[in-house]
Amino acid sequence: MLKCTINGKEVQVKAGATIIEAYMEAKENIAHYCWHPGLSIAGVCRMCMVEIEGNPRLQIACNTKVAEGMKINNTSAKVKESVEWTLGFHLINHPLDCPICDQAGECGLQEYYMSYGKYNPGMAEQKVKKNKVVDLGSKIVLDSERCILCDRCVRFTSEVSKTNEFGIFNRGDHAEIGTVDGMPVENNYALNVVDICPVGALTSKDFRFKQRVWYLKEFETVCNGCSTGCNIKVHFNENGLYRVKPVHNEAVNGYWMCDQGRDLYKFANKEFRQIKATKNENGHVVTLSAGAAAKEVGAMLNKSSGLALVLTGQYTSEEYNSILSYAKNLSAEIYYWKNNPESWDEFDGILYRGDHNPNTKGLELELSSAGIKAKDLKDLYSAIESGKVKTVVVAAPEVQKNYENLEEVFNKLNKADQLIWLTSGRNDLFEKANYVIPMKSFTEKKGTFVNHKGIEQKISKGVTIVSESLSLSEIVELFKGNDLVGFNIPTYERPQLLGGV
Amino acid sequence: MFQLSADGKKKVQEYLKRYETKRSAIIPALYIAQQENGGWVSPDVVKHLSEVMELPMTHINEVLTFYTMFNKKPVGRHHIQICTNVSCSMAGGHDLADYLCERLGVVDGEMTKDGRFTISRAECLGSCDTAPVIQINIDDYIENVDKAKLDQLVNQLK
Ligand code: SF4
Ligand code: SF4
Ligand code: FES
Ligand code: FES
Repeated sequence: MLKCTINGKEVQVKAGATIIEAYMEAKENIAHYCWHPGLSIAGVCRMCMVEIEGNPRLQIACNTKVAEGMKINNTSAKVKESVEWTLGFHLINHPLDCPICDQAGECGLQEYYMSYGKYNPGMAEQKVKKNKVVDLGSKIVLDSERCILCDRCVRFTSEVSKTNEFGIFNRGDHAEIGTVDGMPVENNYALNVVDICPVGALTSKDFRFKQRVWYLKEFETVCNGCSTGCNIKVHFNENGLYRVKPVHNEAVNGYWMCDQGRDLYKFANKEFRQIKATKNENGHVVTLSAGAAAKEVGAMLNKSSGLALVLTGQYTSEEYNSILSYAKNLSAEIYYWKNNPESWDEFDGILYRGDHNPNTKGLELELSSAGIKAKDLKDLYSAIESGKVKTVVVAAPEVQKNYENLEEVFNKLNKADQLIWLTSGRNDLFEKANYVIPMKSFTEKKGTFVNHKGIEQKISKGVTIVSESLSLSEIVELFKGNDLVGFNIPTYERPQLLGGV
Repeated sequence: MFQLSADGKKKVQEYLKRYETKRSAIIPALYIAQQENGGWVSPDVVKHLSEVMELPMTHINEVLTFYTMFNKKPVGRHHIQICTNVSCSMAGGHDLADYLCERLGVVDGEMTKDGRFTISRAECLGSCDTAPVIQINIDDYIENVDKAKLDQLVNQLK
């Protein structure tokens, strides 16, 4: 460890750490555009200037290593003046776009201008015009006039996604960010460049012009797109969810997430949701409240024999725990609906895994701690056919698009006398079930997902989108005939297992 | 589709081995390919080099667009670059360029209709002591140029 002083604060850093890392350690502000902790060092934006005691020249903090006893500051007049000039140069060819720029409100240029603006820029020259509204495929729009050539997108696509789409072409003040012949950027990690672009040069097609960012609030949770369980933050307001960004977690996803996962917030929004419960009485569909439907179903389950419960890896461990003990009491058989199990072990080498469930591990843990060996869906089909199973309750997948055989499974299970379909997402198909009950999306409940490595991660209730929707734990209470007033989700304790999963 | 000649390919492969990183071989490879492609680097050339060198097209395009010595548009059989940097301008470089453009009926950087010439102005060609200087294609230098020499040249070059 090395000791150094950052703006008067003493901090300790690992040998080999750079000055900017010491700033992060000290939680002191330092202007920077090109440095990103998840990428290699470029040292091109020159914003991170610091003064080191005994050194006559200012140095860049991102590419200077800390030495024992260094006294460093970025608060002196000398540093401030230098950063003002650097920012002034960055802005020479920058268009006056803020009113129509999607980045406004979270823009590095706006942010630093508040502390380092020249406010009376001395540029008499014409601005160099570059390409605007460049369509880079289905995800990204580029405005190269706004780019400050920080090289982050170039390094991301060369070091992380390894797809090499972005490059800096031409030279001097004609230097311009782009792709070869405007080649689209379609890799599964493309939208990370929109996150790390410090200005409004790269914007997301999905989010562009939907909301001004200052109208959005955020909460943190875990992506439900695959068994990696990337940590994310969801941006929302009273009209719903708008976008998702990754949250750093070194043990799980580093600084990034994939675009597949980034898109899933949509399925939590109202237009994709089952809003009310429905009941199918001989082909006639009636709508009822979720609570009433759950109580009716509960009463029915109490009386019936030949019960089957179907589970998917898309719910929280707490929910599995509640529903499994309920099912045990009713002597229901447990079946496990796996989507594409043959590709569960696939991995793209970055983050995205072939198991498109957030909590496969959690489900398996709960099953084995309850001493249950879940059966295959095929067994259920024959049990329905033979009349052994009469009533089927299905905790259906939240992300329907990851269950390609959804329709086929639904139709086969619907041959049972009674099919109770618990779902957060809407689908016209479902109305044929005897009961459809709206469930909470992963953004509306708290609980635990256990990722592929066995890391337990908490998801939190960030929003309420469908007010009647239920979690499996809540529905169990209603099935039992209890009320939800004062009901708290039991706290999660990881089951102690002999032998493991 | 552009393809390097067998000889060109061999040279590129040698350059790839010469440097610590493959990217360092991009400049010499572009030179070889430009010459084989009639004096300019087309998108096809970039694609082919990217395959031969096993480098992303992006890296090749970055180098290509950085240097003015690579032509991104077709050029005439004789690419005449007239130096207009300090010494040569003082010795009349701009006048020579204007003269030649007028005589051939083209503007800077434009190719004559018959495909014989492209005229462009260049920065210092490193031969200030014999200003004004012109360069034809890759390696022909003509020193102490005047209008008479230019006329002679235009008549000679086919
Ligand atoms: S587009 Fe954005 S991330 Fe890429 S170099 Fe320009 S400013 Fe940096
Ligand atoms: S890798 Fe998996 S968990 Fe991470 S964002 Fe993509 S789908 Fe979500
Ligand atoms: S952050 Fe140090 S030079 Fe850009
Ligand atoms: S200025 Fe023309 S050769 Fe140097």
